[in-house]
Amino acid sequence: MSGIDCRFIRNFCIIAHIDHGKSTLADRLLEYTGTVAQRQMKEQLLDNMELERARGITIKARAVAMRLTRDGQTYELNLIDTPGHVDFQYEVSRSLACCEGALLLVDAFQGVEAQTMANAYAAMEHELAIIPVINKIDLKQARPDEVTEEMEHSLGIDPADVQRVSAKAGLGIEQLIDAILRRVPPPEGNPDAPLQAMVFDSHYDEYRGAITYVRIMNGRVRKGQRIQFLRGGTTHEVLELGQFVPHQQARTELHAGQVGYLICNIKSLEQVHIGDTVATVGSQVAPLPGYQQPKRMVYCGLYPSDGQDFTELRDALEKLSINDPSFEFVPESSEALGFGFRCGFLGLLHMEIVQQRLEQEADVDLVQTAPNVTYEVVTKRGQTLEIHRPQEVPDAGEIEEFRQPIVRVNFILPTEYIGPVMKLCQERRGVQQGTEYLSPTRAMVTYDLPLAEVIYDLHDKLKSATRGYGTMDYELVGYFPADLVRMDILVNGNRVDALSVICNRGDADRRGRAVVKKLKTEIDRHMFEVAVQAAIGSRVIARETVPAIRKNVTAKCYGGDITRKRKLWAKQREGKKRMKSIGQVDIPQKAFMAVLTTGDER
Amino acid sequence: MQVPEERLGTIAPPSVARLSSIGSSGEAPERLGTIAPPGKAEPRAVYVHVPFCRHRCGYCNFTVLAGRDDLAPAYLEAVEREMSWLGQPRPVDTLFVGGGTPTHLEPAQLARLLDRTSHWFPPTGRYEWSVEANPGDLRAEILDTLAAAGVTRLSLGVQSFDDRKLRTLERDHRAEQVLRVLDAARPRFESLSLDLIFAVPGESLDDWQRDLRMAVAAPIDHVSCYGLTFERGTRFWGRRLRGQLAPLAEELELKMYELAIDTLESAEFEHYEVSNFARPGHRCRHNEVYWRGEPYFAVGPGAARYVGGRREVNHRSTTNWLQRVRAGQSPVAESEQLAPEPSARERMVLGLRMRAGVDRDDFQRRTGYELDRLLGEQLPLLVDWGLLADDGRRIRLTRRGLVVSDTIWPRLL
Ligand SMILES: Nc1nc2c(ncn2[C@@H]2O[C@H](COP(=O)(O)OP(=O)(O)O)[C@@H](O)[C@H]2O)c(=O)[nH]1
Ligand code: SF4
Repeated sequence: MSGIDCRFIRNFCIIAHIDHGKSTLADRLLEYTGTVAQRQMKEQLLDNMELERARGITIKARAVAMRLTRDGQTYELNLIDTPGHVDFQYEVSRSLACCEGALLLVDAFQGVEAQTMANAYAAMEHELAIIPVINKIDLKQARPDEVTEEMEHSLGIDPADVQRVSAKAGLGIEQLIDAILRRVPPPEGNPDAPLQAMVFDSHYDEYRGAITYVRIMNGRVRKGQRIQFLRGGTTHEVLELGQFVPHQQARTELHAGQVGYLICNIKSLEQVHIGDTVATVGSQVAPLPGYQQPKRMVYCGLYPSDGQDFTELRDALEKLSINDPSFEFVPESSEALGFGFRCGFLGLLHMEIVQQRLEQEADVDLVQTAPNVTYEVVTKRGQTLEIHRPQEVPDAGEIEEFRQPIVRVNFILPTEYIGPVMKLCQERRGVQQGTEYLSPTRAMVTYDLPLAEVIYDLHDKLKSATRGYGTMDYELVGYFPADLVRMDILVNGNRVDALSVICNRGDADRRGRAVVKKLKTEIDRHMFEVAVQAAIGSRVIARETVPAIRKNVTAKCYGGDITRKRKLWAKQREGKKRMKSIGQVDIPQKAFMAVLTTGDER
Repeated sequence: MQVPEERLGTIAPPSVARLSSIGSSGEAPERLGTIAPPGKAEPRAVYVHVPFCRHRCGYCNFTVLAGRDDLAPAYLEAVEREMSWLGQPRPVDTLFVGGGTPTHLEPAQLARLLDRTSHWFPPTGRYEWSVEANPGDLRAEILDTLAAAGVTRLSLGVQSFDDRKLRTLERDHRAEQVLRVLDAARPRFESLSLDLIFAVPGESLDDWQRDLRMAVAAPIDHVSCYGLTFERGTRFWGRRLRGQLAPLAEELELKMYELAIDTLESAEFEHYEVSNFARPGHRCRHNEVYWRGEPYFAVGPGAARYVGGRREVNHRSTTNWLQRVRAGQSPVAESEQLAPEPSARERMVLGLRMRAGVDRDDFQRRTGYELDRLLGEQLPLLVDWGLLADDGRRIRLTRRGLVVSDTIWPRLL
């Protein structure tokens, strides 16, 4: 069933804000096309992990091939999944590059959200055919007319094109399929030209190694063929190829226009670069455009806690990186924390995912330092340094220019919250770029903001400022000079390198006060007074004191039951182990995150 | 009566636990001598737990049954049975019958309990035999029963001489009762002790001062002062969580504790352990057995023993303990054989809770460990911080170390 003519292939993705029904709609399409029988749906999903079932099957199969017959003609529909989160913007762009069309899915009650906008713009930039879809029209509170208006205002959608469906109830699915067949153009590309395929995703299979997801742009790929990754520079033999339907189905050949997977006995995902081009060995084809190195925007230090093994942590990180090449780690050492790793992530969500997996899968006890973004410093000698951690900031006298990443943030919110959100942004040195009314009640506000301000707490602050109704999304604009300084934290006079942060000079006093105050609550009282200070260079800008313990004695007879008490003390001793001792001061792990405190009074 | 095999370990020291049969077993390198830790010697002390109380006080988390006096006969039978598993009487130097409230038993029941106790644990020489008593229960009949059985020391759960404070603590006696009871008890016993509680919600430093003055003026030889603690599973714990009871400020509690030390010391009570004060010759020898890390037998629900180097605690639920003993099963709920090093460390902590502290030579003789090597860097550090005093022979808590001592112990274990 493989040799299908390009004219009958449709490659598309679904763009949606979280919870607007992407997974449900995908399931409905699979069902409608008979790819998965309705009755199997449940059983099939039962075989998978709880998590995957909860999220729908698209999470497992990043591209599903569906077959469907219309008027005697068989079509192949390839649904390509796109990650929804801003951390994975680059991955999104690579998925879009493999499609000719996109379903722009919007919840009939929630309306257009920031993530919808960001990804819709991206789809338009890739010149995809956009099929606007309003989902959940079965809901009582559905307001499809208003949402149509929002789509028209914000994205220039023609109201006549909007498909109204209920993915849950299965309403409007047939018309939607018709629209896909009619409006998504068939892929171009010459099956007889030399092979050129785009890597848009990958995952790691314990038994088979890397599974590489590709869209064939030109030519054909067959089992047994020798291929090369043009960017990665490695060559491999194709052991198996095929499509997900949605289970893994081997084929003999994939040709231009098709989407599928390759298995080449690749032992680590590090060798598979998203956006890379696959060609036959010896071929002279050019790499496909748009490839980028994964850009790590957020860094933090990960250290084993006291009594834990450095090598254990290293093994765990190595294991993780096999599965996730966009995460990076290099050994570093800190006076305060000893030997550990500086780890780079695509964004804060990515960082949280990695950290969770470390704790769940590897059972290592971690000390994490506060995350920071990557800065650039131009030295007096004209060198440009990438700064991945505060300790790397050179002395003030050597700095010609200190630059930070700026992102453009789109907020979508009910109009009554425009004021509070503008205030939030201005407090964070945002520069307004525009306000657009999507409908009489909803608006899009755009600001350029320092990424550092965005990752720390902007999302939480937005949610509370808009009672949960505001959404946001952002993209990198570039690096721009700013008046930045390194703020150090001293505990009983000892500088704790792992607690240093980079911040705006104008914010330093407030931040410093907030951080030492927070640290005061995190550090247990000791048998002596503990001074916590914030300083810039040699100038102390804030100080708090953790008073010494005055009294801690159980004036009580334990009778003969000494065991209980001893166990309690032993537990306290274990607790002490999970701290880092600096000088004689025990600092609990979570205190290393305290430097994120920005000071609420602003 | 046939004794099931598994029970033997419960209370009877296995024959190997004899001092003579224990030699060096090649443990950690620092362990020097070949002397067995005294935990493995034959115990010379016994604790008997009586779980009954008239009602449960709001702060109490002891093994206590309130309003179940109907279980007393079954309890007595079970205690006797648990004792009988010793196989033969074990002479002891100190006995302690605690609770609960032993004096809540009917006089005849109490008499029987004391009789069985002295049968299985014959007091020898200048023995000490303490019984805990509730001032509210102490009719003359009870006092006579105790004295007739050979009890030498009464430990009275007075808690306070202030009726308001007693009400807060949900105690069922009143202050004037205490004074009468003390007068009645005095001629019958060698030693009288009373327990006082401080840092009770609503209590002022003056209130506490008055309690201390009353205690000093009373005809007693020994005082135990306990700071009120809020324990899980008590009514006070819940009331504190709901904000109905406010613990005193740390600073005030500290002042109260120091006031107790100063007042009692100047009245010639020796402060010999964190919570305990005694006139000369009136320390509680039984408690000193615990604090020295020496072995002891124990009988009754929730009772803790240290026999043959093994620490054990009986089931804390009285009914559970009852059922198990009746069914001929071991009543032990938790059991732990201490290795030499943890045992030495435990002894260090218990020893330091005594104001006399720990003597280097004595410690090494008893545990086989050199004190300085065992403590490593902690000793100079704690001395440096002014928490421990070291005269080259002994180490002991300073006054400052005393009041923060619970912060020190985790470092030493
Ligand atoms: N009422 C209604 N609920 C829907 C519809 N489509 C999806 N949902 C519900 O919306 C929630 C989010 O759907 P899901 O497909 O997981 O969203 P995703 O995050 O975009 O993948 C789920 O509780 C679905 O059951 C619909 O058409 N009508
Ligand atoms: S009298 Fe003592 S043992 Fe009984 S309930 Fe009150 S505090 Fe607890």
